[in-house]
Amino acid sequence: MSALYLYPVWLRLWHWLNAVVFFTLLATGISMHFALGWLIPFEVAVPVHNISGILLTLSWVAFLIGNAFGGNGKHYLVNIRTLPMDLVRQVRYYVYGIFVDEPHPFHVSTEHKLNALQTLSYVGVMYALMPVLIISGWAFLFSAELPETLFGFGTIWLVAMAHLLLAWMMLLFILVHLYIITTGETPTTNLKAMITGWHREGTSDEA
Amino acid sequence: MSGIPILTRRRALWMLPLLALFPPLAPAAPAGAPAPVAEATPTDRRAGTPAIPAAAADKVGIGSRDSQKCMRCHWMETMAYRDRETREIVNLSIDADAYRHSVHQGLACGDCHDRAYKHYPHRTSSADEGLSCVGCHAERQDDPSLSPPKLDAFDVQYQHSVHALEARLAGGGPFSCFSCHNPHSFRPLPNDTPVSEVVAANNGLCLDCHTELLSPVPKGHAWLPRPRQHWRAVRCLDCHTPLEGRQLYAPSHELLGATESNQNCVECHSRGGQLLAQLYVHRAEQEREREGFLAHAIYNDAYIIGMSRSPVIDRIGLAVVGLIVLGVAAHGYGRYLAYKRKRRAR
Repeated sequence: MSALYLYPVWLRLWHWLNAVVFFTLLATGISMHFALGWLIPFEVAVPVHNISGILLTLSWVAFLIGNAFGGNGKHYLVNIRTLPMDLVRQVRYYVYGIFVDEPHPFHVSTEHKLNALQTLSYVGVMYALMPVLIISGWAFLFSAELPETLFGFGTIWLVAMAHLLLAWMMLLFILVHLYIITTGETPTTNLKAMITGWHREGTSDEA
Repeated sequence: MSGIPILTRRRALWMLPLLALFPPLAPAAPAGAPAPVAEATPTDRRAGTPAIPAAAADKVGIGSRDSQKCMRCHWMETMAYRDRETREIVNLSIDADAYRHSVHQGLACGDCHDRAYKHYPHRTSSADEGLSCVGCHAERQDDPSLSPPKLDAFDVQYQHSVHALEARLAGGGPFSCFSCHNPHSFRPLPNDTPVSEVVAANNGLCLDCHTELLSPVPKGHAWLPRPRQHWRAVRCLDCHTPLEGRQLYAPSHELLGATESNQNCVECHSRGGQLLAQLYVHRAEQEREREGFLAHAIYNDAYIIGMSRSPVIDRIGLAVVGLIVLGVAAHGYGRYLAYKRKRRAR
């Protein structure tokens, strides 16, 4: 059995607060977008969504600061040279190896806690999608101040479509994320690691 | 709305003392000034038109010597009569407090009303003084002490409105500026008035007469989901004025009838929200100053249901989410079978 302390307290706190804000935004956003008053009344959903959006912005800034000064940023550096083969190995494991009890192609270490697929998806979400989602959200909050048109389109419409598209992509990300955390040594290995901070392997014979 | 003497026809009775109407001035704002309309009521006499200081108020407006003679009778709240023809009560009472907070506070009774009213009892013919908001404002454009806003554009709009058209059809019925705007209490709403109060003040003008719309299923609005909720959130004129040529600070007076009015939900509940732009845009800056940056961001009223709706993106999103859920379920089931197989093999 091996045990690695991968997730310091600040990182776990950030992760779980981020998760709460994320799901609040998802629930209120769905309620507002589809007019689901039975889910959350519109009058409640709007200010809660706005507040959560502001908190998500702060959380994202904290993530950037944590990565820049807390040493966590190294996990999001993509190694272009080894990336293609790492991706192939990782995808092959998920679509085939995992069913035939092949060993996991990636081994967690304090230097590399994310496999190639995780690195790529987290970098994409946190550094590409999240900024656009946040900017479009803030643009919504101050929609009255936006110019009427942008590139020949109604600015609010562009903002709304960008926000909507990003929201759908984030929903997809979270679905996949929730499933992928069950693909550790046991279905709960990764979840426990994010709760305790310790990544433990070799404790079970489960697949 | 109290004190709106609309029905001033020849048959005004002998007691038509001063026929409560003074002035010509009426609706809306000068070009370039915020214009939502309100009558000065006890609850909204805060900002906007400052009241004349008490000492000065004794000398001008209804405090002037001539006006005091009028107010000896017209201050009474019960000053009214029943019109013989229409059987409606014509209110002749002037709320002095509201007048002192109105845009016309500096005008004495005689500045607008016919000198013939000096005779008492007033003659019936005195009621035919033909007061005109547009005319009076135009005549006094050169008076630097008054500089009233020009109302010509509003007049043009009004002439195309359903009110004017129906009045003409009815042979010059009793509709005029005074039907909606009480010149003795009129003042524009202050710039920092919250949207909900703007909506309430504006819609109050309409619903004072259109009382039939206060029913649970308001006439002509059966197509509109949650009418009460709409009337709390948007002004009647947001749907009942033309979409084209809207000016941010001057709501159109071209009120449209049922058939011409907007009944397209998408005009509000969609991309541009054009119908609502006029209501919210000019409020945003003031709200931000009043409430602060953060509070404005959190409590702004700009989002309406459907604003972000795109059936194409939603369908694609739902389809992809469905596929992902199926894929994940299948993958999980496969892992479960593999796990069972592994257990059996041991």
